Amino acid sequence: MWSVLVLFGLSVVIFIIARVVPGDPARMALGPRASAEQVADLQASLGLDRPMVEQYALFITGLAQGNLGRSLLTEQSVNDDIRETFPATLELVLTTILIAFVIGVPLGVAAARFKDTWPDTLVRAFAIVAAVMPTFFIALLLQVLAGYVLQILPTTGRLPTGTDFQANITGLLVIDGLLKARFDVVFEALRHLLLPALALSLATMGQIARITRASMIDVSRQDYIEAARAFGVPTRVRLFKYQLRPAFVPPLTIMGLEFASLIGGAFVVELIFSWPGMAAYGIRAITQKDLNAIMGVVMISGVFFVLVNLVIDVLVGIVDPRIRIRGSRA
Amino acid sequence: MTKRLMTTTAIWALAAGLLAGAATADNIVTMNTVQIFGTIDPAKISDYTDYMAAVNLYDSLVTVDGSGNLIPQIAESWVVSPDATEVTFKLRADATFTDGTPITSADVIYSFERLLRINQGPANLFAGVVESGAVTAVDAQTVSFKLSKTFAPFMATVPALMIVNSALVEANVGADDGQTWMADNVAGSGAYLLDSWDRGSQMVIKRYAGYYGGFLDNPIDEVRWIITNDEATVKALAASGELTMSSQFQSPDTYQALVDMGRFRLESQPTTTAFYLKLNSAVAPTDDIHIRRAIAAATDYTTIREVIFPGEPMTTVLPSGFADFWNADVAAPVFDMALAQAEIDQSAYAGQDIPITLSYVAGTLFEEEISLLMQSNLETLGFVVTQQPEPWNRVTEIAGDLATTPNVNQIFFGPTYPSPDSMFFTQFHSAAAGTWASMEWLRDPNVDALIDQARATGDVAEQARLYKEVQVIMADNMVAVPLLAQTVQHAMDNCLQGFQAVPMQSFDYDMTRYSWTCP
Repeated sequence: MWSVLVLFGLSVVIFIIARVVPGDPARMALGPRASAEQVADLQASLGLDRPMVEQYALFITGLAQGNLGRSLLTEQSVNDDIRETFPATLELVLTTILIAFVIGVPLGVAAARFKDTWPDTLVRAFAIVAAVMPTFFIALLLQVLAGYVLQILPTTGRLPTGTDFQANITGLLVIDGLLKARFDVVFEALRHLLLPALALSLATMGQIARITRASMIDVSRQDYIEAARAFGVPTRVRLFKYQLRPAFVPPLTIMGLEFASLIGGAFVVELIFSWPGMAAYGIRAITQKDLNAIMGVVMISGVFFVLVNLVIDVLVGIVDPRIRIRGSRA
Repeated sequence: MTKRLMTTTAIWALAAGLLAGAATADNIVTMNTVQIFGTIDPAKISDYTDYMAAVNLYDSLVTVDGSGNLIPQIAESWVVSPDATEVTFKLRADATFTDGTPITSADVIYSFERLLRINQGPANLFAGVVESGAVTAVDAQTVSFKLSKTFAPFMATVPALMIVNSALVEANVGADDGQTWMADNVAGSGAYLLDSWDRGSQMVIKRYAGYYGGFLDNPIDEVRWIITNDEATVKALAASGELTMSSQFQSPDTYQALVDMGRFRLESQPTTTAFYLKLNSAVAPTDDIHIRRAIAAATDYTTIREVIFPGEPMTTVLPSGFADFWNADVAAPVFDMALAQAEIDQSAYAGQDIPITLSYVAGTLFEEEISLLMQSNLETLGFVVTQQPEPWNRVTEIAGDLATTPNVNQIFFGPTYPSPDSMFFTQFHSAAAGTWASMEWLRDPNVDALIDQARATGDVAEQARLYKEVQVIMADNMVAVPLLAQTVQHAMDNCLQGFQAVPMQSFDYDMTRYSWTCP
């Protein structure tokens, strides 16, 4: 129920913001050389000459029917645009999260294990640098290094231009490539994913490493860990079996927030790497004042945010049953 | 044993997969563009990038060469009536759409009527000139355009009317005149076929071997446009061997980096796109002619042209590329601070602080540099400068009202069709006031009359006389300070030949004009 209210509020706020920023959508769509008559015609056909309340009623009615309207930018339905662009962003963000977790969690564990020694200092320094370095800078750095100087990885798009492949099962190239046994596509998709995902993952990786470290140190002070230590439980078992699982809850919770923010924040990386994703589409929609596209992207991001956090809540309950039990008692 | 077998199978599967995706065409041109293709529907195309695809996917009755001359395309010839109110086109008998259907008069009529009904893109070029029902078939291969009035630039606008396959569009017409279908599909007779289009990242077109117009030797088989405006990406694409032609909007550093790779040369050609300081003549202090002349004299043209933004000198409001219409007798404004001071002394604002707003497109570095250069010069003359960077969306809005139009505005303007009328009417005629192109708010009846006369005569010599007179008036009133004529630049693979700047939209990227000269 709260989720529906959140999404409704989001739709109202974005609807108003999208309309009060400068720029006439009809003029933007038709180009600077269109005549006043052409602009007026398009305004009328888009309903922009109607009162704002009526425009919103039309939008929300369409939304309830699953129709996000037509994009002025791409000349096709926003539903189709999102269907085309969302998988690209999702694949990028999933890979980003995967990289951030696979590297960030072990770094955090190592830092906690070697607290106040040089590995800990190194991890903390890395986490801070990764967090403060702007994503666009990292993206450009990686692009110049791997794409221009070393020439070992591709720097644009999801696949080499001209590749004959339709990702029409899930939209995720790696998954669809595997399902269709097109290993060349899987290989190329992974090569193309590496640089943008790495650029996007560094900040999250740093954050996960820091949170994992803090959480691991916190758990290490628990009595049962002391007891395990006293009983001579081997360090590796103590660390990964008894300490990491409860310590995993904070990074997992953060992942939910990061996941959703990466969907929106991926635009810099998508623009730099010519990644045909929804974030870049959203930015183009904003600069062209493509109202339906703006609303569509924001609403889909909102729905995704809500869904991901629901999933994370469930996962947290699985990782730490105490939370689930407390929740059911409450 | 099982493990080895699995490994071997996986390697073979990977190799087979890699080979499956390795098929390539012969001559491939990969070019970066800085913005996405908005539409490929010829009734809706409006900007530079839209036209880039459209001129390859569709043909018009006539097209334009590098000198701005009209050359036959679907039409093999045309006849203009003595009073210049009717043009009759004879279509090529062998002209066909890419599905093999012959192009007939009915297709021309359908394309024109559809353009008017949708009323977007190039439709405004024909508004008030050719009405609905005024294009008629003389026979299956001959079509007549009856003009509502004599309109000298009409022929120059014809290349913007691209011909669609009426049967194909009608078969997919839906409830919106085929707009939904035409957003993703091509119903044209162009030399290239749409192969793939990922709106956010790339478009690929492939040569249609059966093109009725034919090709040069060693034609371009495939064109790949990659959408990126990132300089590092362009360099990386070039270094990896993927890029063959850069966009015309790269930084000087990128051009140099590409040339230094050895594979690229720098193609640089003057254009008819002009860059002006447009001075709002309806508000203080730029309502004073001496203030406007002072601003013109305080403008450091050489520094702007040679240091800040590359371009050719421009002496009048019309670029010299319009050779027959350009007035060589008009003296170019010169950078002379003493002259500027003398003009201020003659103005109504002499001896006082003169507040002035300098506007430019926010985020455009070179425009900001020009604005700061202007500020430093103007402040030594007693101006109190306010910098007003505005996003382009906002520029188009504030230009609609003379009270909100800043005093000084940096504006690029290039011809929509290869005629001086495109430069004069849209910028300086009162009927076109209130747009970003006419931020001077000139509204001069003499100028209007001269432009109207030039539009109404079919005599080119008379047109030239009239346009030259307009240039004299504009040099005197100095509402538009001509800064430079833009130079178009591309870093181009040494094997790629054929680029020639065309004074109309993106007709320079008609890929039938290019060839690959290496084995």
